[in-house]
Amino acid sequence: MKRILIGGIGNVLMGDDGVGPYLARTLDARYQFSEGVQVVDFGTPGLDFVVHIAGLDALILVDAVDNGKPAGTVTTYRRSDILASPVPMRLDPHQPALKESILIADLDGSGPKDVTLVGISGQSYTFNTPLNESVRKAVDDAIEVVLRELEQYGVICTPKEGGTPDVWWEAQGSCEAPAR
Amino acid sequence: MSKRITVDPISRIEGHLRVDVEVENGSVSNAWASSTMWRGIERILTGRDPREAWLFTQRFCGVCTTVHAMASVRSVEDALQLEIPLNAQYIRNLILIAHAMHDHIVHFYHLSALDFVDILQIPKADPAKTSSLIEGLSPWTGNSKHVMKAAQDKVKAVAASGQLGIFTNGYWGHPAMKLSPEVNLLAFAHYLQALDYQRRALGVVAMLGSKTPHIQNLTVGGVANAINLDSQGTLNMDRLAMIKQGLDEVIPFIQQVYLPDVCAIAAMYPEWLTYGAGVTNYMAAPDLPLDSKGTQFDLPGGTLIDGKLTTFKTAADPIFRKEVVEDVAHAYYEGKDALHPWKGETNPAYNEWDANGKYSWVKAPRFQGKPIQVGPLAQVLIGYKQGHPLTVKWTNAALATMSKIGGRTFTIDSLHSTMGRHVARAIRAAMLTELADKHWTLLVNNIAKGDLAIHNQPDFPSGTIEGVGTHEAPRGLLSHWVVVKGGKIDNYQAVVPSTWNASPRDKNGVRGPYEASLMQNPIANPEQPLEVLRTIHSFDPCLACAVHTYDATGKQIVRVKAL
Repeated sequence: MKRILIGGIGNVLMGDDGVGPYLARTLDARYQFSEGVQVVDFGTPGLDFVVHIAGLDALILVDAVDNGKPAGTVTTYRRSDILASPVPMRLDPHQPALKESILIADLDGSGPKDVTLVGISGQSYTFNTPLNESVRKAVDDAIEVVLRELEQYGVICTPKEGGTPDVWWEAQGSCEAPAR
Repeated sequence: MSKRITVDPISRIEGHLRVDVEVENGSVSNAWASSTMWRGIERILTGRDPREAWLFTQRFCGVCTTVHAMASVRSVEDALQLEIPLNAQYIRNLILIAHAMHDHIVHFYHLSALDFVDILQIPKADPAKTSSLIEGLSPWTGNSKHVMKAAQDKVKAVAASGQLGIFTNGYWGHPAMKLSPEVNLLAFAHYLQALDYQRRALGVVAMLGSKTPHIQNLTVGGVANAINLDSQGTLNMDRLAMIKQGLDEVIPFIQQVYLPDVCAIAAMYPEWLTYGAGVTNYMAAPDLPLDSKGTQFDLPGGTLIDGKLTTFKTAADPIFRKEVVEDVAHAYYEGKDALHPWKGETNPAYNEWDANGKYSWVKAPRFQGKPIQVGPLAQVLIGYKQGHPLTVKWTNAALATMSKIGGRTFTIDSLHSTMGRHVARAIRAAMLTELADKHWTLLVNNIAKGDLAIHNQPDFPSGTIEGVGTHEAPRGLLSHWVVVKGGKIDNYQAVVPSTWNASPRDKNGVRGPYEASLMQNPIANPEQPLEVLRTIHSFDPCLACAVHTYDATGKQIVRVKAL
C-alpha cells in the first residue's frame, strides 16, 4: 500500500487563494479512495508541512498559482520544478514554506519522493470575496488531473453518491444564534 | 555616510513583514517595521453567528490556527459570562500546552537557530569532541559520537550533492558567526532530532483536537470531546494513555536538549544578551485556567511597566479591558483617534510607504498610552517578579546553565535582549513540560470522579453584550474583542501578539518593540544584515500567513541605498 496525501493549500478567506481547500473538500465529498490515501484541507501552513508530509510515498498539492496565465488555467509542477529556484530568506519565520519543508523532510529521510503541485491560475486574492467564476469552473478540470495522477499510483477512486462538500466559509450567515 | 537597508521578502502578493533600518558607523540609527498587507480580517465576521466565529478566526493564520480558535470562543464566553466545565478547561489546556511545546521547538531549531549556527563549519568538526562537550551537562541519550557523526555525514552528503538548498537562505561565513565547528554540529544534530519531537507534540494536539492543522473540537461553552472511558470513538482510557505517551516523549527533549542548547548558544554569544532590549514594558495574560470560572491559573500574567509589577487576577483583567487602545497615526487606516477595540474601526487609507507618515498595515496598540512588548519574555519576567514558583525554578536553572558554560554570572537583567527572548521561550517550554503532566493528571482524576461534563449551553440575550477573550499564545498575549447584538456579531477585533510587537510609531512618534529593539544593533555588512534577522526572528513574528499562493521564482529581498 502506498501512502499518498492530496492537500489543498490556501486561505479560504482570500478569494482565489481558497481554491486549494475548496478542491480538497469537493474531492473528498465526491470520491472514496482505496486505502492509504488521505485528503487534507491544509489552510496555509508554514513549516508544519514537515509534519504532514513525513513518510509519504507521494504528495499531491493543489494551490492557486500566479504564473501569468489566464485565470483558471491548470498547470502541473513536479518536485524538480518546485525545488528549482532558491529557498527565499525568511524575515517572518511563518511565511508559507513548501519548498523549505520538502528539503527539511529530506534531511531526515522522510521527504516524499514524488511531489506534484496542481496549480490553478488565480485572478484576484481579495479578502472576504468568493472564488472568481473562472477559477471555480477550473476545479473540475483540476480534479481530473488529480484523479489521473492517482491512477498512476494504482489508487482506486470510487464515486460517492450525493456528497456535498463542506465549504462552510461560503455560507453567508448560515446559522444565526437564536436571540432570546 | 549612512545607508538605508530595506529587508522586504515580498512576493507578488503583499502581506509580509518589511523592515527598514538606517545604518550609521556600523550600527542601526533608525528603524521602521511594517506589514505590507491589509488584513481587515475582522470585517468578515460582522453579522455572523458568534458560535461559529472561531471557525473563521482559525483561518486568520495557517500556523497560529489553534490559538485564534481558542481566543475566539473565550471572547464569546466572556461576553456571556459562561462557565466552562472542568474537563473542557483541562482538555483545552492540554491542547494549548502541546501546541506551544511544538511551536517553541520549531521556532528555535527550524526558524531561528541558523541565525547563530553556521552549517558550513560542520564538516570540520570532530564528532567525538562534540559528544564530549555535552557530557555532564545533559543526560540526553542522543548525544553519542555516532549520532554526531551521522549528522555530520548528512551535511557532507548535502554539500557533495551540490544541493545546499535548505541552507542557502542564510549568511554563512558571516563575521558575526562565532560558534566552534563542534558546537555547530551539536546544534545541527539536535535540529534533526527536533523534527521528530515537534511532530510528536503536534500529534497530541491532533488526538485531542481530532484534526490538525485545524482543530475541530471547540465549541462556545466547552469542547466537543465526548468522554466515555469504555467506548470506542470517544475520549477513553486508551486515548488518554496515548496522549500521556506523546507528552512523555516530548518532555525530556525540552528539558535535556532544547533548554541546554539555548543556554549554551546564549553563553557563547554574550553580546546578544546586551543588544535588542527595545521596549522594556511587558504584558502577559494569565492562562491555563484551573477552575470553571477562570479565577485561578497555572501561567502568570500582569504587566511590568517601568519596572513596576501589576498582577492580573483574571484572564481579561478589568485594567486590561479598559486600558487598551489602537492608534492609527502611522498605520494605513482612516481616523486620528486611538480607539478601544470594542469601538475599533478597520477602514483602509493606503498611501506609499512614508517614513514620516503612514507606513504600515499594522495598527499601534498601546496600553496606558505605552507600547508594550509581549511574548514568552514578558511572561517569564512577570512571573519571576511575582515569585511564581515554576517560573523562578526554571529561570534560575537556565541562568545557572548559562553562567556555567559562559564562565561568568548572568542575571535576569540579561534577558532584556535579543538572545533573552530565545532563552525565555525555552524557559517557558520547560515550565510547560511540568504543566503538561499536571493537567493530564487533573483531567484523568476529574473523569475518575465521575464528572463527564464537557459543555455548557450558550444563551444569547436580545440586547448588546461585549466580551474579550485572551490567550497567552506562543508569540505572546492574544486578545479577541467581540460585540454581540441580538445574537449576531456587531464588531470583532483581534489584537494579536505580532500587532503589539510589530507596532509602528504612535501619534507621539514612539517606536514599537521591533523598531526599538533594532536600535544600536551592530551591522557588520549592510549587504548581509544578519543582525537585523537575529533581532527580528527573536520575537517569532507572524504576519504573513494570511495568503498562500505558490510562487515559482526567487526574489531579491535586501535593498541597500546610500542616503
